Amino acid sequence: MSKSRRTTAVAAIAGAAAFALLAAGCSSSATPGADDEVTELTLATFNDFGYTDEMLAEYTELTGIKIVHNKAATSGDARTNYFTKLGAGSGLADVEAVEIDWFAELLQYSDKLYDLSNDEVADRWVQWKTDAATDADGRLIAYGTDIGPQAICYRSDLFAEAGLPTDREEVAAMIDGDWDTYFAAGDEFVANSDAAWFDSSGAILQGILNQEEETLESTDGEIIATTNPVVEDAYNTVLDASPELSAQLSQWSDDWSAGFANGAFATMLCPSWMLGVIEGNAPEVEGWDVANVFPNGGGNWGGSYLTVPAQSEKAEAAKAFADWLTDPEQQLKAFVSTGNFPSQTSLYEAEELLTVTRPFFNEAPTGEIFSDRSAAIEVAPYKSVNYFPVMDALQNAITRVDVDKTQDADASWDQFVTDVEAIG
Amino acid sequence: MTATTERPAPISPSRPTAPAHKTSRRARRRAKAIATNKPSTLGYVFLVVVILASLFPLYWSFLIGSGDSSTINKQDVDWMPGGNFLSNAAKVVNDPSVNFWKALSNSIIVSTVVSASTVFFSTLAGYAFAKLKFRGSKGLLVFVIATMAVPTQLGIVPLFIAMSQWLGLSGNILAVILPALVSAFGVFWMTQYLSQTLPDELIEAARVDGASMIRTFWHVGVPAARPAAAMLALFIFIATWTNFFWPFIILDSNNPTLPVALSLLQNNFFIDYSIVLAGVLLSTIPLLILFVVAGKQLVSGIMQGAVKG
Amino acid sequence: MTTQSLAEDREIRRITLGHKLNRWDMKVSPYLYISPFFVLFILTGLFPLLYTAYVSVFDWHIIGGQGEFAGAGNFEWVLGQDKFWVALRNSFSIFLISAIPQVILALIIAAILDQNLRAKTFWRMGVLVPYVVAPVAVALIFSNMFGDQYGLVNNALGRIGIDPVGWHSQVVPSHFAIATMVNFRWTGYNALIFLAAMQAVPRDYYEAAMLDGANRIRQFFSITIPSLRPTLIFVIITSTIGGLQIFDEPRMYDTTGAGGASSQWLTITMYIYNLGFGPAGGGQFGRAAAAAWLLFLIIVVVGLINLAATRTIATSGSRSSK
Repeated sequence: MSKSRRTTAVAAIAGAAAFALLAAGCSSSATPGADDEVTELTLATFNDFGYTDEMLAEYTELTGIKIVHNKAATSGDARTNYFTKLGAGSGLADVEAVEIDWFAELLQYSDKLYDLSNDEVADRWVQWKTDAATDADGRLIAYGTDIGPQAICYRSDLFAEAGLPTDREEVAAMIDGDWDTYFAAGDEFVANSDAAWFDSSGAILQGILNQEEETLESTDGEIIATTNPVVEDAYNTVLDASPELSAQLSQWSDDWSAGFANGAFATMLCPSWMLGVIEGNAPEVEGWDVANVFPNGGGNWGGSYLTVPAQSEKAEAAKAFADWLTDPEQQLKAFVSTGNFPSQTSLYEAEELLTVTRPFFNEAPTGEIFSDRSAAIEVAPYKSVNYFPVMDALQNAITRVDVDKTQDADASWDQFVTDVEAIG
Repeated sequence: MTATTERPAPISPSRPTAPAHKTSRRARRRAKAIATNKPSTLGYVFLVVVILASLFPLYWSFLIGSGDSSTINKQDVDWMPGGNFLSNAAKVVNDPSVNFWKALSNSIIVSTVVSASTVFFSTLAGYAFAKLKFRGSKGLLVFVIATMAVPTQLGIVPLFIAMSQWLGLSGNILAVILPALVSAFGVFWMTQYLSQTLPDELIEAARVDGASMIRTFWHVGVPAARPAAAMLALFIFIATWTNFFWPFIILDSNNPTLPVALSLLQNNFFIDYSIVLAGVLLSTIPLLILFVVAGKQLVSGIMQGAVKG
Repeated sequence: MTTQSLAEDREIRRITLGHKLNRWDMKVSPYLYISPFFVLFILTGLFPLLYTAYVSVFDWHIIGGQGEFAGAGNFEWVLGQDKFWVALRNSFSIFLISAIPQVILALIIAAILDQNLRAKTFWRMGVLVPYVVAPVAVALIFSNMFGDQYGLVNNALGRIGIDPVGWHSQVVPSHFAIATMVNFRWTGYNALIFLAAMQAVPRDYYEAAMLDGANRIRQFFSITIPSLRPTLIFVIITSTIGGLQIFDEPRMYDTTGAGGASSQWLTITMYIYNLGFGPAGGGQFGRAAAAAWLLFLIIVVVGLINLAATRTIATSGSRSSK
């Protein structure tokens, strides 16, 4: 055998041996060791949590710990990053942000997350937010950051053209009630206008289902989406209203973004973080406003948490840091800088929050509005590991009928049932 | 017979071959065309169409990048650019989360090292596979090509384990360089090119003159491989420059490459495409500069390859 | 012994030693030359491959880690999924719609670039510009242009009286739009590969053919194509592998990356990625790995078919043998 041939063979054997070793001891979670002398902590967020460099420098002054802040652009990127490194067993930051959409999936591996239970802060957040972050063994494994209480955003100029009231309070009175009231107002609108009433049937579906406790999954973790009458009712309600009232757009698509500028729809379900989206998509449109109303009172859409992965070797220090970050004082600063609505209940009385207005939306008192809508949230739906895939299949079913128009409501539901069977 | 750099033109299909003894004006014009190998007008028109189509997206990006956040949504496209490009570009460069200059220098380092190394190792291996006879060469080559057929998306996890846990290179740009130092595509490309363009006789001649293997490689193989090597270097440079996924996983936003840094321009649920595309254009400019430099290399290199004994 | 024979002896020994070194050099060098590639490749290329193969026979969740041995279970599961077959159909469809016109167009462009143009550098680099534009920008442009309600293309079609086409909602139009994206990005690239090979064809062949009375088209088919045979094979194989693995373009065709509500444009690599990493029902590493190896087999089979086809096309009509 030539010299280099032998080298190659040796390398191959070494590689295989290492590989076998690795496979044998795969993905073990590191036990958090004692943190004596923590000088640095890493924080990973996505989008914009409002944790500015100044704020983090404050923490360094307080404790002497330097904070290294790593950002991902989107929630999706952050999720891929989180799961890759959780699977690899290392590489995650000491404090990692998680979005509610994929939090449920993470929850089933709560043993890989550090226990953040702390009686002192237990009442800090709205109850449903804390409940969602508690695992089956009763450990609190995440601290809430922001939430997405919904109101109704509307185009007062389109309303005026259709002969509907334009003043915020009057609009609220008109829509106040349940979903039927909302759709009835829509019928009146479209009779006098070329535009549609709402942007996307998928959004309405979310709005309706987010107000029920047991929707796609039962609290035992079974998938009940295909048999639960709540789900089928919501599906049919939405699709009955769509032909007349929907702009037939798919949220976040290019057509949807263009729809803002082209006056395709007059209202939309508006969580607090949607305001920036509306403003960015159509800055020349002048008629947007926010009404302090929501069918059935209120609902939540979105929101995030901070977790401490068990792989971190500085878990105790990280827990203290996460505590500090989600303290009402810091969260208020974050709200002021980004508009992400806080989940800390004590802030709902805060002067700084209640007096915030938004110029683009006709100086609407958004602090007050979203505070009221948040108080109106009674129920958070039970979401477990299969929630997101099933919801995705349901949304696809709606899209097929409303946007793509490739199937009718019955055929699309049948396909939804088949798709759900493939899950889990 | 030594071929010159002037090449005879193929006869235009629209005119039949005239007998050589006619010395009409047509024949003389044709002879001139033959001597200079000029393409027909149709050829030029076709090229212009192709180039226009190729440049269109760059121009479109510039249109959006010189507007504001709603330009991309406009139904009636205004084909004249707005005036915001410089201010949008300034926003990109000065954005605190986007470490623009660090990202730029990281990208330059990574892309240069990777393309140089890939070209070198691929030429070496390609020469061996194409021109040297040794046991297992065919099997190994097929194996190399076959590995290209396995989709690489899932390899992220084991690669991360290898780079981060075994070598401790998390956050280090070496972790982006190492996996890319060799390329199966590069080996395949150089093998094909050399087997087609490097005659065995040239190598034999060098061996007969008493040159060792390495000297033969250096003085015969490398010059013959130059045009393909330049091409490969360009392709690999561009591919490395625009690579997002792996650098995103292994690096962090404090030591990024350009695509990772630019992705941070999208945040807060709403993407301001005027800024994003301004950033995209900024990151394309170094590549365009490279084009001009490499282009001349390619042209002269290719021409040199055509000079053969 | 005489001085002369002593000298001869030394001469013979020197020649023999040199001869031995030479033979050793010849035998060992090839392995030395390919070893840097292979050593690096084992760590960064082979290890992930073997890992994926290992994972494919286990129940393996990306976070939960290694589960029970599943043998062929993951493979069976994947083959039983409708989505897998739909994704396969999509991949083949996009591959055919894109690869065939792309190769033909690349050949034509290369043939024109091969000639004595003015401002050569400009034309040659100009066709490569699409490859330089970041995939995100390309995807933005095309998915915007092909928007169902507000896109440029439907706008233009409307002006000449054609109904809007469902570029995102229908299967075949979505394939066509994505194939356009793919072709846009890769045609110039392949054209330059062909060009590099064409420029190496000895000019005497063309001169001889011209004297024999062959016109340009005839020369193209009788000289250029057969001389390009190794390069054609290379391009067809890399296009096959790349074409069946198309990922970036369809993934960015809409913001969800899910391939459409009825999987209209879900390619097989997107399916694999979503199985492994996806937000909706992802994390199934074992199944994703199984699907990846199934794709590998499919590519190998299709690659071999294409190889045979290319060999036949490239050798027929060849007058001169190399």
